[in-house]
Amino acid sequence: MRDEDVIELKAPELTAAERLYLPQIVAGFRTTLRHMFLEKKKRDENMVQYPDAKRQVRIDNYRGVHRLNKDPDGRVACVACFMCSTACPAHCIHIEAGASPWPDREKYPVKFDIDELRCIYCGMCEEACPCDAIELTPHYELVARTRQEMIFDKEKLLHVFEQTKHDKPRKNPAVTDYGLTGNQDKAVARPTSQTKV
Amino acid sequence: MPKIIIDGKEIECRDGIPVLQAALEAGWDVPHYCYHPGLSVVASCRLCLMEQKMPHPQTKEMGWAPKLFPSCQTPVKDGMEVRFHSESVENNQKHVMEYYLLNHPLDCPVCDKAGECSLQDYSEKFGNATSRMVEDKHKNPKKDIGPKTLLYQDRCVLCTRCVRFADEIAGTGELAVVERGSRGEIDVFPGEPLANDLQGNVVDLCPVGCLLDKQFLFRQRVWNLQTVPSVSPADSSGACIWIDANDAGVHRVRPRFNERVNEWWISDEQRHGFEYVNREDRLTRPRIRENGQVRGASWEEIPAHLRAAFAGDGSAFVISPMLSNEEAWLLATFARQVAPNAVLACGHVPVEGQDRSFPKGFTIRAEKAPNRGGVERILAHFGGPQMSFDELCGQAADGTLKAVYVYGGYPAAWITPAQAEQLSRLDCLVVHDLFDGPLTERADLVLPAAPWTEREGSFTNCDGLVQAFERARPPRSGIKAEGQFFQELCGLPGLFRSAKIRTMLGESIADLAETFQPRKEPEHAH
Repeated sequence: MRDEDVIELKAPELTAAERLYLPQIVAGFRTTLRHMFLEKKKRDENMVQYPDAKRQVRIDNYRGVHRLNKDPDGRVACVACFMCSTACPAHCIHIEAGASPWPDREKYPVKFDIDELRCIYCGMCEEACPCDAIELTPHYELVARTRQEMIFDKEKLLHVFEQTKHDKPRKNPAVTDYGLTGNQDKAVARPTSQTKV
Repeated sequence: MPKIIIDGKEIECRDGIPVLQAALEAGWDVPHYCYHPGLSVVASCRLCLMEQKMPHPQTKEMGWAPKLFPSCQTPVKDGMEVRFHSESVENNQKHVMEYYLLNHPLDCPVCDKAGECSLQDYSEKFGNATSRMVEDKHKNPKKDIGPKTLLYQDRCVLCTRCVRFADEIAGTGELAVVERGSRGEIDVFPGEPLANDLQGNVVDLCPVGCLLDKQFLFRQRVWNLQTVPSVSPADSSGACIWIDANDAGVHRVRPRFNERVNEWWISDEQRHGFEYVNREDRLTRPRIRENGQVRGASWEEIPAHLRAAFAGDGSAFVISPMLSNEEAWLLATFARQVAPNAVLACGHVPVEGQDRSFPKGFTIRAEKAPNRGGVERILAHFGGPQMSFDELCGQAADGTLKAVYVYGGYPAAWITPAQAEQLSRLDCLVVHDLFDGPLTERADLVLPAAPWTEREGSFTNCDGLVQAFERARPPRSGIKAEGQFFQELCGLPGLFRSAKIRTMLGESIADLAETFQPRKEPEHAH
């Protein structure tokens, strides 16, 4: 370390009033008392009587419980590439891949478990996903009676999608080649049904 | 040893190798697809081109030749000067990479090769960030070319390593390039699938994700695997392997270079024959029979039990060729400690057919056990009464023997019903094995064994070469690895470390203490 990198800091000199200590206490209490009596109206406006009332969260980027999206044909959109579990800093995503039963796709997740207790809701999985299959939803009330219930499997994650798709519709992503190999046509992977989810 | 100058730096290299190999061994990262040290040179991928200093035709002055040369096809010559870091070489790499990526699908997220793919590495290191291709990509079909291998033609870069392997090493020549130019494809002849006994090597040879192993398909992403050097127990050749494993088990076995045994290749049974270590029905806790009742036992009570049962005359120990030198030595030492007149026998050695050799000398051995040589060497050192396993079964039947300790450890059922019947007449039968079988049903004490992936030690191959292998996984819960267990039986303190035991073993049998280390392959070799 060089000398110019070292910065010496000195404690500021206290004035006589500061050294007396009491004026600071009075100043502090003034803020408390102001909120207690004078700003009651403002306080009531900001306060939410949870669970009777709920705060409005931002739908687009709130990081709540995960969901696994379905493609327009109702199949799981995930191609089991393990990018989310690789990116996950909490190691809470456990995937088992298998050969997909559909002709237009190579792989699909046979098992897809997320340990919601271990998850830190950082949203890295959503960032990593090459086909926008995993997303975080605005749903934050996550309760269960056992730890086992908090490990969300594939069915449960797809169910979350069904529950939240009206609040937060899936952005139909541009069709990529990610799931495609062999002699299949791009048209096969394009949404065939007209129903937008 | 010729001296050549690469990028202004003088290096010394082996004689008779191509410049590419010399550069790789000296630490250069030169991109290449078609070159492989074990195969003939075709110089078709055009990625390893270099600049070379040549005399001018008229003035005879040395200067950089205007044309690029394939470094894989240019043998080293004393005093030659080449360079890989120049504008024209780097431009060539960039443009060739762009051609390779024209029709390559962007399916890395679902490709099993992703993470160890040369195309990924080179396009990041030597290629462009974007593609200028605007037309639709040419898509070739995926093909099932054999019982164990898939071919994804759209990922292929036509390096023809697999074709040359089938021609030169396996000698069967099932693969060929059909069509020409951008429609070129690797294919098999109709009705003749890729089914030779070395075919798994084409998957390792493939620099991209074109040829994939059906056993490993979709199983794990390669960056989730930990790789450990090991020696294959599938036959007595002692082929060097890498074991790729993680917490979910052992997933893949790949060849490890060894100039004395297997070079760059392994046979399919060495590659695919590990699946038994992941089986759910493996034995995981000791069982003891008392008054006709079988109950679970703890490892702590077993040494005393064994000492009591084997102390008298008529005891015998069967030391399997599946054990490492160190474990066999510890078990024989224990046998001599507890009963100086105990019979020592080498276990059953499975043999299938004849040794089979391939054109370039790769051999699949008929003997399907890794360490018969080592076990016999150790038994010869200990001396005393010895017999073959068949004789031992006969003596067990006629009542000469009272107590026998049988170590199995074979991947499949190994004992004949007649032998099991003969052994079941003993007063005390101790069976140390991987799976339940005819012998464990009749045993008085059953000990769970650990497969070679969960142990460490060294094997002596059929030519007497001693090679060490490391542990890829911890022993499955409830199992005490053989080395540790035998060491405790012998009364030696501490944790089992094979190197330590090997040194002790070397004091009495010097040639088993020296392990052979194969030459290290350069980092960017293949």
